[in-house]
Amino acid sequence: MLDVIELALRIIGLGLIVLGGFASLISAIGFHRFKNFYLRLHASTIGTIWGCVYPLTGASLLSITLSELGTYRWFIAGASLVAAIIILILAPAGSHAIARGVHKAKIIRVQPCIADLLDKDLCG
Amino acid sequence: MIWELLLAVSILYTISIVLLTVIALKGPTLGDQVLAIDTITYASVVLMILFSIFFKEPILTVVAIPLALWIYALDVYVAKYLEKGDLGA
Repeated sequence: MLDVIELALRIIGLGLIVLGGFASLISAIGFHRFKNFYLRLHASTIGTIWGCVYPLTGASLLSITLSELGTYRWFIAGASLVAAIIILILAPAGSHAIARGVHKAKIIRVQPCIADLLDKDLCG
Repeated sequence: MIWELLLAVSILYTISIVLLTVIALKGPTLGDQVLAIDTITYASVVLMILFSIFFKEPILTVVAIPLALWIYALDVYVAKYLEKGDLGA
């Protein structure tokens, strides 16, 4: 019974880590492909949530099952889970702060623009 | 099996960090550079944890949480600088 739980934790953890690696690569390519700052926010969000929160949760699940790490595997599991929760809270707040600051500073125009109710001059 | 997969994912993260460093150095505006530095730091947090599992060194885990907190402080400071023109700290 314990072996089944261990195997399931290991497969889920490894799956989340591999998913995170590919998401991080996609986000880095998106940074080069998107045209301006407001579009690059999408790529940044892929890199933070898919590429950081999920792999950290997966590393936490994986390290529980690795008895080669000794007693300190619980420390790795707890620290990576806490880091994942902190990043889940702080990363969206940080990118919202930067987007708001850039929009208020009027240094980048909103390029594919349908309506910009905050500042009509920045549209288009 | 596990260790080879961890090594392959670490290589993927390293490639993405290198690609993002190009944007962080030459990006068109300040906002793009700060976004790229954000994503680099989050990727290196994951890389630290993967290395601490790969090399069986639990002490590498300690740096993960301060890195995440530091990059949030950078976000807030840059946003305030862009909005008000000075930090006023």
